[in-house]
Amino acid sequence: MSRVITLTEREVRSFFLTPVGYIVIALFVVFASLVFNAGFEQGQPASMQKVFRWGMWILLVVCPAITMGLISEERRLGTFELLVTSPVREFEIIAGKFLGAMAFLILMLTPTLFHVALLEIYGRPDYGELACGYLGLLLAGSAYIATGLLASTLTTSQLLAYLATFLGWLAVLLAFVFAPTFLDDPWLTFAFASDPIPRLHDFAIGLIDMSNVIYFVSIAVFFLIVSNRVLEAQRWP
Amino acid sequence: MIVARSLSRKFGRFLAVDSLDFHIDRGRVVGFLGPNGAGKTTTIRMIAGYLPPTAGTVEVDGLDVVRAGREVHRRIGYLPEAAPLYSEMRVDEFLKFRARLFGIERSKRRRAIDLALRRCSLDEVRTRPIHQLSKGFRQRVGLAAALLHQPPVLILDEPTVGLDPAQIREVRALIRELAGNHTILLSTHILPEVELTCDQIIMMARGRIRAQGTISQLQQTGDKTPRYLLETNSSKPENAIREMKGVADVQSVVMDEHWRRVTVVAAAGTPDLREPLAATVAKMGCSVRELHREAASLEHLFVQMIADAEAHAAESDGGRQAGQKGEEA
Repeated sequence: MSRVITLTEREVRSFFLTPVGYIVIALFVVFASLVFNAGFEQGQPASMQKVFRWGMWILLVVCPAITMGLISEERRLGTFELLVTSPVREFEIIAGKFLGAMAFLILMLTPTLFHVALLEIYGRPDYGELACGYLGLLLAGSAYIATGLLASTLTTSQLLAYLATFLGWLAVLLAFVFAPTFLDDPWLTFAFASDPIPRLHDFAIGLIDMSNVIYFVSIAVFFLIVSNRVLEAQRWP
Repeated sequence: MIVARSLSRKFGRFLAVDSLDFHIDRGRVVGFLGPNGAGKTTTIRMIAGYLPPTAGTVEVDGLDVVRAGREVHRRIGYLPEAAPLYSEMRVDEFLKFRARLFGIERSKRRRAIDLALRRCSLDEVRTRPIHQLSKGFRQRVGLAAALLHQPPVLILDEPTVGLDPAQIREVRALIRELAGNHTILLSTHILPEVELTCDQIIMMARGRIRAQGTISQLQQTGDKTPRYLLETNSSKPENAIREMKGVADVQSVVMDEHWRRVTVVAAAGTPDLREPLAATVAKMGCSVRELHREAASLEHLFVQMIADAEAHAAESDGGRQAGQKGEEA
């Protein structure tokens, strides 16, 4: 466990020792603020529902940038060789990288607390609903990050890792958006049930449905397990 | 300490390392010598547990590298080719990170890091970011990281590549200094490097071991016709020398009005001729101002080995092509 913490710590630090971390945070804050601003008017409810509802799309752009270098860059620079010849197990590497990216995601969300402060100043926000929305963003982010981590184990190019994650999820999200135009009922119901966006909307309005939590967590766990397998297979064919 | 048995590695259909067998005793400094592309790095990566072998086994300290994975990693300090480092970290941060990965307890960490910094003369740069350091310093940071957990085995892939002559000398001195406490395996394509630092040499070319042994053993195999250089003031030394037992050829060159330089080629298998040569010249009433046996050059052996390997490869390629043609016909 201490090795996982060591790896997590190094990961978080390295985000802030390179420009990538700052660029990603700036990008996220700009998107989040634009969406927030659009709903921040007199007479509107004091909530961040818009930001949370759009979260799936905002994170789609940002999360692959967090994960793109996790393993691919280490492979390209050769530090991966040092990492796997030290006494760490593959799952510790995966866990360390994943937790590092999650910690970064949390740090990335903190500037939006400024929006919360604005709501407090100009209205009476529902803190339960806000906390719920943030939980939704973290869960959706964990699914993206686990997918991005897998992409990063499969290539030495950060750009490829980014594109694979971004385009893969974009295709999935668009397929759900346009599902009603090409699917009929038994299938459409099924598609609606596996669409992440309405699930994130539930969180945005302050609803914690256990099935939604399990939905995002199981996506993350699945991709983490696959990433771990990939690393093991590369090392011990 | 390190034992390889028919160790092989294929990349696709390319056989990069072809059934190596070798044995390295505890406390030895062993050099893997070979031209670029000989399979040195692949072999080293298999010993370090980075690449699994496709056939054969390698053991470190009695443990199978593939099966005992992490236990073996604890016993090895590894400096990969080109010393990859997290360049955004500071030197002491990086060493602390490595110390924690290797499970060095908090109470001993400080001391381990200080010791590694001191041994690699890194004190002056300990708080500098790694990306600001010169190649020589980076190499030493990599070495310090490899030494941190005091491993019994050190594996260094091309430790002096890209360094200037002064830095190369420092790294060599450091390796010699470490030799007492560690079994050291290093790879290089520079011959004087192994002559200066290693006890034992494993020469590789095209994925195979072409020669191995101590430097003197290899010199003997390479040295079938030793040569002697002699400077004397005798005006006609050739005849007397030619009559000596074991002399195959004598040539002399006039250097000035008194001195001549004589080159003596001995017959294969002759014992050392230096004493008899001096005695012969003395018998003629002349004196010797220089006499030495030309150290059989490892270089000669090395060049010979590469040429043989290339010739062999060309031959088998030729054979294969001929075979293919035959099949086509």
